[in-house]
Order: sequence, then C-alpha cells, then structure tokens
Amino acid sequence: MPTYLRQTRQVAITLFAVFFFTSLILLISGAPPLSAYYHILRGSLGSWNKISHVIKGWIPLTLCGCGLLFTFRIGLWNIGVEGQVMMGAVFSTALLRLGLQSQSPGLFLAMSLAAGVLGGAAWAVIAGFLKTKGDVNEIFAGLGLNFVAQGIILWLIFGPWRRPGVASMSGTETFPVALWLPKLSSLRLSPPALVIVIVALIATGLLLRYTRIGLNLKAIGNNPNAAFLFGLKPGRYMIVAMVFAGGFAGLAGSLQVSGVYHRLLPAISSNYGYLALLVVMLCNYNIWLVPLVAFFFACLNVGSIQLPMVLQLDSSLAGVIQGALVLAILGVYAWRQQNRRAQSAESIGHRA
Amino acid sequence: MRIELKDIHKHYGPVKANDGISFTVAPGRIHGILGENGAGKSTLMKVLVGFSQKTSGLILLDGKPVDYKNPARAAELGIGMLYQDPLDFPLLTVIENFMLGQTGGFSWPQKVFHKQFAGLARAFNFSLDPDTSLKILTIGERQQLELLRLLALGIEVLILDEPTTGISSLQKATLFAALKKLASEGKSVILVSHKLEDVQVLCDKVTVLRQGKVTGEMTPPFQADGLLEMMFGTPPAQPDRQHLTPGADVLVMTDVSGSGGRTGLKDCDVVIRQGEIVALAGLEGSGQGVFLRIAGGLKLATSGCIRLQGCDMTHRDHHMFQRQGVTFLPADRLEEGLIPGLSITEHFALLADRKGPVVKWHQARQAAAEHIKAFRVKGRPDSEVQDLSGGNQQRLLLSFLPSAPVLLLLENPTRGLDVDSINWVWQHLQAYCHRHTGIVFSSSELDEILMVADRVLVFFNGRIIMDVEASRTDVQELGRAIAGNVAVGAA
Amino acid sequence: MGKIFFWGLAIACFLATAVFTAPGPGLAAEKPFTFGLLLVGPYNDHGWSQAHFDGGKYVEEKVPGTKMIYIDKVNPADRAGVTIPQLVDDMVEKGAKLIIANSDDMKDGTREAALQHPEVHFVHISGDGVLTGKAPKNLSNLMGRMEYGKMMAGFVAAMTTKTGKIGYLGPLINEETRRLSASAFLGARYAWEKVLKKNARDLKFQVTWIGFWFNIPGVTADPTQVVQNFFNTGYDVVISGIDTTEAVVVARQKKKQGKNIWAIPYDYLGACQGAPDVCLGVPYFNWGPGYVKFIKAAMSGNWKSEWDWLGPDWKDINNPDTSTVGFAPGPALSVSANKALDAFIRDLGNGKINLFKGPLNYQDGKPFLKAGQTASDQQIWYMEQLLEGMSGQSSAK
Repeated sequence: MPTYLRQTRQVAITLFAVFFFTSLILLISGAPPLSAYYHILRGSLGSWNKISHVIKGWIPLTLCGCGLLFTFRIGLWNIGVEGQVMMGAVFSTALLRLGLQSQSPGLFLAMSLAAGVLGGAAWAVIAGFLKTKGDVNEIFAGLGLNFVAQGIILWLIFGPWRRPGVASMSGTETFPVALWLPKLSSLRLSPPALVIVIVALIATGLLLRYTRIGLNLKAIGNNPNAAFLFGLKPGRYMIVAMVFAGGFAGLAGSLQVSGVYHRLLPAISSNYGYLALLVVMLCNYNIWLVPLVAFFFACLNVGSIQLPMVLQLDSSLAGVIQGALVLAILGVYAWRQQNRRAQSAESIGHRA
Repeated sequence: MRIELKDIHKHYGPVKANDGISFTVAPGRIHGILGENGAGKSTLMKVLVGFSQKTSGLILLDGKPVDYKNPARAAELGIGMLYQDPLDFPLLTVIENFMLGQTGGFSWPQKVFHKQFAGLARAFNFSLDPDTSLKILTIGERQQLELLRLLALGIEVLILDEPTTGISSLQKATLFAALKKLASEGKSVILVSHKLEDVQVLCDKVTVLRQGKVTGEMTPPFQADGLLEMMFGTPPAQPDRQHLTPGADVLVMTDVSGSGGRTGLKDCDVVIRQGEIVALAGLEGSGQGVFLRIAGGLKLATSGCIRLQGCDMTHRDHHMFQRQGVTFLPADRLEEGLIPGLSITEHFALLADRKGPVVKWHQARQAAAEHIKAFRVKGRPDSEVQDLSGGNQQRLLLSFLPSAPVLLLLENPTRGLDVDSINWVWQHLQAYCHRHTGIVFSSSELDEILMVADRVLVFFNGRIIMDVEASRTDVQELGRAIAGNVAVGAA
Repeated sequence: MGKIFFWGLAIACFLATAVFTAPGPGLAAEKPFTFGLLLVGPYNDHGWSQAHFDGGKYVEEKVPGTKMIYIDKVNPADRAGVTIPQLVDDMVEKGAKLIIANSDDMKDGTREAALQHPEVHFVHISGDGVLTGKAPKNLSNLMGRMEYGKMMAGFVAAMTTKTGKIGYLGPLINEETRRLSASAFLGARYAWEKVLKKNARDLKFQVTWIGFWFNIPGVTADPTQVVQNFFNTGYDVVISGIDTTEAVVVARQKKKQGKNIWAIPYDYLGACQGAPDVCLGVPYFNWGPGYVKFIKAAMSGNWKSEWDWLGPDWKDINNPDTSTVGFAPGPALSVSANKALDAFIRDLGNGKINLFKGPLNYQDGKPFLKAGQTASDQQIWYMEQLLEGMSGQSSAK
C-alpha cells in the first residue's frame, strides 16, 4: 500500500475512533452528540475573546510540552512536571511579594519569571538526582515531589503568605496591577507571555535539532549503553534534561501567577503538567505538533464549559470526553505500533 | 513417541537460522543436539515447541505430519520443553505450580494432585516438599518440579535446553537418572547442549549443528575430537599473515578477578603487547566477556591491578580508558554498539570533536559519506542504523575506530558475518598492528582464531587455562582446552 | 509526517466548522433579559449554592421576561484552569446582562470581569467591594443578615444541648465567618444565661475551621472527620457554617449508633430534609427578593452601585417574598425550645434584644464594644476576632 494511502487510512481511523468514543459517552449521558460538539466548538473558537482564553490555556500547556520533549528525548518520564509548575509559581510569587513595595515593578516581574524558571528547574533536579544517584524511578520521585509541592503551596497560602486576618485555601492576596504581566484589555491576552512561549518553542526546536545537547539527549535516550561507549555520561545529561523540563514548567507556573491569576492558589498548576504529558505523547514527541495538539486540548478545556451552561450536562463530562479522546488516539496508536511490530517481528525476534 | 524432523528451515529475513535440518528421534532414546552458541539450536527448539513458526519443512509424530502454532497445542500433542530458566510462578507453592495448566475447572480437589505429585516425585527420587514456596527453591529443584509437571501433562517428547547449567552435580546425577528412566519408559528425550561431557555420558545419538546446518551425527562411542570438528569446523589452510614482533607492554592485568556473566573472571594474569593480536577462546560465557569489559574499564575488577602503558587504571571508568586510547567494540551491535533510531550521520556527529555547543551537521554528513565509502557500508548517511544488515552494522562500527588506538578490545567482531566480510574485517584490523595497537578479540570460531591471532588465551569457567602461541597449537588442542581438558604443560 | 498531517487536518476541520457555525446576528423578536449565576459549588448541594440556584429560579418565576443561565462548581478544584473573567465572557456572549457571583472567593475575578464589561451589571454576593470603594460602578454587593439566623441557631443549640458543649463547623476564617460564628455564640450564650439561667462558664463553644467553604480532598480538613471528632469528644450539637451538609449527615449516622446528638445545617431551606431525628432547624438564605431588586433595577435602567445587607422580615421571617434571611425550625426541636425560640425571635424583631451590645470583648480580652454601646453595621461586618468565651482560632496562626 502506498504510504499516503496508509496514512490517510490511519487518520480516518483515528478520527473515527475519537468521534465514536466521545459520541458514545455523550449518548450514554443523554446528550445529543452533534449539538455538544457544536457548543464545544463555538465555546472555544466562536469569538476572539474565546480564542484568547484558549491561548491562555495553550501557553502553559505548550511550555510544559517543550520541557517534556527534553525528558522524553532522553527516555525519562517526568511525571514531576506538575510539581515543577507549582514550584515555579511559588518562586515567582516569592519574588513578586518582594516587589510589592518596589518602585520598579517591571524589574520584579522580570525577576519573577527568572525565579520561576529556577524554582521549576531546582525541583526537577531533585528528581533527577534521585534518579541518577539514588536509583529512584523518576515516576515515583516525580509523583512524590508533586505531593510535596502541593503541600508547600497549601502551607504557604494558609500560613506565611495568608491574607491578613484571613485563613482560607482560596489563595494569597491578589497582587497590585503593577505586578501583573501587561495584557491587552481587549483581548485578555498577555503579549509578553505569548512571545515567551513562541521563543520557547523555537528555542526548543533549535536546541534539539542543532545543538550537541539535543543530539546527545537523543543518543542516550535511544541507547544509554552505546551512548556511554561514545563517551557520553547518561547521568549528567539526565540532569540537563530535567533542568530544561523543570525550567520550562517553572516558567509556565510563573506565567500562571503573573499573567493569569495574579496570586498563588492551591490549584495554580491546573493539571497543565499532566495534560502536557498527554499532549507530548500524542504528538509522538514531535515538537511541531506540540503547539497544535496543545491548542486542541486548550480548546476542549475552554469549550467544554458550554456543556453545563447550555446543555445542563454534568460538568465532569468534559473530563470524560477528554479521556475518551486520549483513549481513542492511544488505542489507534497502539494498534498501529502492533501492526508495525508484526511486520518486523521476525527480524526483531531473531535479534532477541 | 517417534519424532521426525524433515528439512526444517527457519529464516529471519536474510538470515538462515535453521537451514535444512533433518533428524529422527526414536522412542526410548535420548538424543543430543550439540552446537556452539548461534549454531541454530535455540531456534530449532523454539520451532519444535511451537514458539515460532518454521519457514518450511515437516515435523512428523509417529509418522503423521503435525502442524501447531503455539506451545499449548504442542503440549496437547505430547511435546513439552524444560527451559533453562523454568517458567514458573515464584509466589506460588510447589504444589500450586504443579497444578498449573492441569485444572479443567475450579473444583478439582487438591488432594488428587498431592497424591499424583507424591507418586511422581517418589518414582524419580525427587525430594520436593509440595507446600514450600517456590521462592526458596534452587534452580535444580525448580527444574525437577517443572519436569514432574510436564510428565503429569502427559508429555511424550521431552526437550531440555541446557539443563545442567546452574545446578549442582548431585542434582545433575538425579536429573540424568530421571532422564534415563523416562527413556526406558519409551519417552523420547531431546537434550540441547553445548557441553560435550553431558552429551557424552547421556545420549544414545548426537546431532551436531553449525551455522544452521547439520554437520554430522554420531552414536556411541563418542570421540571428542570428531564432535569438536563438527562443532567448530576443520582448520583452514595456513594463515597468510606476517606476524609482527610484539612491542612494549600495553595492558598488564595482575591477579584480576571480577564478577558478572555466568562464571565471572578469576585470578587473571595477562600481558598484552603492542602490535599483537590476542584471541580469547572458550565456550560462550566462560569469562571472555568479563575480561574484555574489565580491560576496557566498563566493569570494575573486584580485586587485582590493571595497568595501561604503565599507568594504574584499576578503579578508573571507561571514559578514562578511552582517553588513554582504549576502544571497546561490543558484540551486541544494536544493544551496545550502535544507537538505534540514530542515522549514520548522527553517529558521526556524536564522534566528532566536542567543541562548541552546535552540531556541525555538514561535517558529520561528510564524514559519514566518506566512511560509508571507505568501509563499503551499504547505506546512506541518513539511514538509521537498525535498518542496516548485520555485516554493514559491523563495518560501520569498525569505521568508528580511532586511527591509532593503543588497545582495541573486540567482542566477537565477526559473529554473523559471511566469509568475505570476515576477511575484509581482519585485513582492516591487521593494519592497526603496524601502528603498534594491541588487539584483543573473542571468537567462537577456532578457524578464525588460528588464522589471525598471534596468541590464544583459552577460558574455562572464568579462568584462563591456556595461554599459547597460535602457531604452536591446533584446533584439536584448543577444542580440548575449551572443554576443560588441558594437556600437560600447555598452561 | 503522518501525525503532522493528521493533526493539521483535525484542527483545520475544527476551525472550519467553528467559522461556519459561528452565530449570526439572529435576533429574536422578544429577547429575554438573561442573567447569569456563577455558583461556587454544585447547584444541588443542599446548601449555599442551591439556595442561590433557587433564588434564580424565583426570579425567573416572579419577573416576567427573565432567563437564568448558570455555571456551577466554579472553584479551582473542580474547574482547574478556569477563571472568573473567562466564564463571565462566556455568559456575556450568551446574552447575560447581569451576572451574580456567589462566592467570596470570586471577589477579584468578578471585579476584573466587571472592569472588562462595563455594560454588564454584576452582583457579588458577600463581598464588600462597594464599601471599600474598589468596585466599579456596575458592581454591587449583596448579603443577607445571617447574623440573626445564626443567633437563632445558637439559641436552639444551647436550649438543646445536654453536655453544654456546642461545636461550630467553620469554613475558612475571614470577617464574614468570624461574625457569623460570633453571632451563633451570642445566641447560644443568651439562651444559656438568660433563658436557662445557667452559668456562662459551663457553656463550651468551640469553632473548628476546615479551610474552605466545602471539602476539597487533600486541600481542606475533612469536615466529616471534624464533625465526628466533635461528637466523639462530648459535643452534642454541631452548628454548620460550611456550604455543604456534612454536619447533618454525620449526625444521622451517630444517631443511628445510639448517640443523643443534634445538628444544625446552614444556607438552604431544605437542608433538614431526610434528617428529622437530628435536625434542630436551619438558618437559611432566601435570595429571591434580593435578586429581584437588583434585576429589576438593571432592567429598568435604575442601576446603582450598592452594598446591600438585607435582613429578615420580622413580621414573618420565613416569608419567601420579603425575608432574605429565615430560620426553619427542625423536626428534632423540642416543643419547649420552639416556644422559647418564638419569643426570642419576637424580641429580636422588636428590638428588645440586641446581642451586639456592650460590654463585649474580643477573644484576647481586647474590648470590642464598651458597656452599653451597640455595634454599627460596619463594626459587625469587620469583626477582628472571635469573642471572649469562644474557643478556636480567630485568624490564621
């Protein structure tokens, strides 16, 4: 079969599976699927306002996705990305708090971004060292650190950073507007955040493609033993990858604080880290797909609010639809992999 | 049950793992399948037990052709296999493992099994407690359990894959007695091994495989020389190479021991000199691999001292060894040598000098193209290495070698290559000797060893039991040494 | 390449349909006045959010030509990544002319949205943006004088308790929750001292905070456990100050196990349903009248930025058309206590009793009201601490 025909078939099957699963779930919950799709669509792309809300979600997703490309490249499952977002937000908030009385808020805004990068990276490096020195699986280390990060946020909000006279889990005091990332009021968008993401995307692409770091990460990810014989130190590069992943995630957390919520709240990471893991996996680790798929997920996130508002569906359905989508895509992906394996099973079997 | 194999072929792409194998095992006979690693024994067993499908050929049971697609079906037909590492469930008890695969429903009382188990165990003189947990059993005991389980399933053709590896001599005696008893009851036993001594004491007939083909059969009395010749081939004509006078010491290992592999490495004293080619002979896993890895700094010696050109390198890592001019080429090209998923160009980019943060893709592509041409690799710079054939992968690996290394450590550098490629590889490698490089390589081909080596080290059970000039020995002597029989004065 | 192609295609389809299906300016002949409701919890929580939801329904019923749209569970735990301005954008696009945000937690988001949509009217429930001057002109505040409801709750609690230990299940700590728990305490102390003629020192009034308006697993303390803890340590009446019904639920379980205990839920008229044996009554909000006032003002163009603190209608505190705050006595309330309650309500209504009258000290002994001084609205609204005689945190540690 010619390649393009096979690919078209795959696309068709994936799309079919996606719509089949989601329609099934919608039907089960008693909603007319077509009108649900229509509302999600309109709710996410129906106006410039909505698109700007989508982009607001797209920014942290894409940033985390960029970071995860580094860790996936070297074969690490950086589940800890969620906690890295949180720590980025924490470090950022700390810096912004310092800037409360300052005469030059711009400076503190810039420094808060840097602090976010630092916080995320530091948190990631802990998982990295646990992996390389302590032989702790990065998945477990990451999950544990996510809990710790969440605990730190709760403690800060309830304790040292509480609002005066208030003990509430709802977050810290909102920062004065001077410490908000500038945004276009007509678009609810922060142009600096957008620029940062685009720069991050391009930088990631260049780093992975044209620098020694990118090549070495790929080599180690594909075969650490051989890479070692080629003179590379896998442990060291794992730390490097974690630094990049954590840095980007921390930046995302930082932007959530200074660009979106203007304060620290318990759910500051909004599961964007976990979602980004899915995005990157669905992209098959291809960087140029990351912004597209992230955009798709952001649309779903924003558009699905229409379901409860218009169709009176339970709001958790959006999550179920998202899950069905992922399941469908992964299912088709696995099926494809199996086909490929079956084709080359004989020769691989021989090698084994 | 009589089992006949007729012209069995098993091809993996272009590789012929089994290339027309035929033999017959009569009921009540113990039949040995002998061959070096890679001779095609495992492939043949997998076909026999239904794990993989033969490319062509016939299997007849009692004269009737049978065709089965999985081990379960094979077991129904009466063919069962005892694996080197028994496939059992460590968390269950002995009796629970015994019951596995036997219960039709849920209601079969345990008592019946206990009785059956006790009877079988007594018959074969196995002392197994049915209620102990499997975790604490030795490999030998697990083997006994598995054997009983297979018998309870009604196996008529029993295949054993290297059963004497990792069990005590007492267990070995018990096992052999059990196998003889089985044969006397009319069952057919197929014993797969590369150990001459096992085959010699047990088998009624031996079929020898080499490179996927049957190279001969023998009935008792077995002559070791004859079997070895069938296993390793006849010595070739006089090797045509000039032997250089060895220069200064490159690598000195004093009393080095190490762990790993099947046997580890024990008390090794070796000196490798400039311009010398040293071959490591021995059955697979007798210590050659550990030796090469310790010599390359990839594995730490547990004791002893390693000096490289006079420098103490005992506790240094591989990258230090690399800096001192040591290069190691592993046997498993895709597992250790090359990086699947990376193109040839990317490999050269990795090798290129590490200055600056940016990869010089243009240079790497050029280097790739040049080496592809020089080393006659069939591939393009952007081919990913896993898509190359084995021979081309090996050429590619050789093309990575630096121009003047101090010491080359090569693990089975010619395995799986055809004769032409082997000759080409050695022509290339011998050129290094003129640049004062010391070369150490392991090989399972005695012909090759005698053809290219200056000196041969024979490994047996982790020890070097023979260190001899290649010109002063022959295939027979080496073969005996490999099997552990060293003539007086040779070491 | 296949992947790129696929995603490109998928997203192109997505965008294309979005463009084609974008709404045209299809104007209906009679366009209803749409108002939006942002509920912090589920619309059917038998508590705070359901009371608001019912208030919205009341408006639809009483004011012709109005239509409600709502989004519930508007909180970061249920809707991670969703912000108030974003939801407001959605509602405005659906035609909402007035938006009610029902949580203190939405304060900043509502103000931000109000600034972005000057043509839309906003009512922030329980906030003080108008008082502090931070609110733009299109934003008003609405709250009910639940202090009275809480006093009644405290009153029946003290009338009922056998152990003299009353537990107050507090949400988070802020001015609102301080004044409400203090009111319950004042009501209880009044019943204890003036009606039952007991010694004030024998009344224990413990406030335990969970950290938010309702349970967020892993974030707040678990209210179920807090209530269990109350009952297990000798407290036999628990007054709920949170949005959800854990107090009644746990009380029912304990009652079934044979414990002689009671509970007082909060917020929602129907909160006693299904718990006749433990429910002493519920102080509830009746948002309908307040909503109607603001919506009518917006519809007629007479909107004014206001801070409204609506009290009970003392003629009939349970009148759905006039009373913003009510107290529905529960089936478990004894007849004698009920009688005493009626008298208490009457005296509150005619001004005979004013519980916010000095001398009252803060928890640390600092004077809140001098002897004979009655508190102003502002003093009550901005209480700094719990009162002397209450145990529990006054603010975060």
